[in-house]
Amino acid sequence: MVHALEEIHRLLKPSGRLIDIHPVSEAMRVEIDDDGTLSSVGELSVGQWCMDFQQADEALADVIERGLFIVEAEDIFDAPTYYGSVEEMRTALMGSVDRFSRDRRSAEEAVPPVERIVAGSEELMRMARGTAELVAHERTHIRRLRPGPSDGKG
Amino acid sequence: MAIRTDPEENGRGALLDLAALDGGRILEIGSGDGRFTWTFADRAEHVTAIDPDAEQIALARQNTPAHLRDRVDLQHVGFEDFAAKTSPAAFDFVILSWALC
Repeated sequence: MVHALEEIHRLLKPSGRLIDIHPVSEAMRVEIDDDGTLSSVGELSVGQWCMDFQQADEALADVIERGLFIVEAEDIFDAPTYYGSVEEMRTALMGSVDRFSRDRRSAEEAVPPVERIVAGSEELMRMARGTAELVAHERTHIRRLRPGPSDGKG
Repeated sequence: MAIRTDPEENGRGALLDLAALDGGRILEIGSGDGRFTWTFADRAEHVTAIDPDAEQIALARQNTPAHLRDRVDLQHVGFEDFAAKTSPAAFDFVILSWALC
């Protein structure tokens, strides 16, 4: 990750900017939107199996400390995903487990929490109207960084 | 009903609040199926969007809006390989698009 950031520094013009966008390392909140009435299903933590947000944050902190990049501005926003059915959500979450798990073991560990959220969603969706949707809220961190004068080898 | 990701375009709003992309040459790392790429590509001079997942790049190619076809270059490649063949100072912006996960 640090090497990738050094390469990004090389590819940027001196006046260029790096925009880093990634979910914050906290649980994803899942709720049901039943015609504007919101009911909480629960939270799904991806931190244990998803290739490390924390590791990524540490790599960025490292290159910032070395002066390779300088943070100019940052913000946090909500990136919600809406699912029309529990099966849609289950398929999408399992797809993410396949795509983003750091290894086989962490992929296996990710499945039970997903199934728990799915089971909780099924129960609440049965009681909701046909137009109800599931919403997974992912809080996301965005940062603008400018290349520093350092060659990053420090 | 189709899955809708960030239909309010909070991501686009946050990006454009932080970065004046107008007319810039952009590298997006981890472009996936392109759904985020389409939200900002119209502001750029050119976007190179890369992803190591062949299936995701195929989806992105299939779903590229007609008005962006000349502006967005989708490449199935990992970042290290891409960087190795790319000249220094080639881009005005590099967007790490959820690529750290």
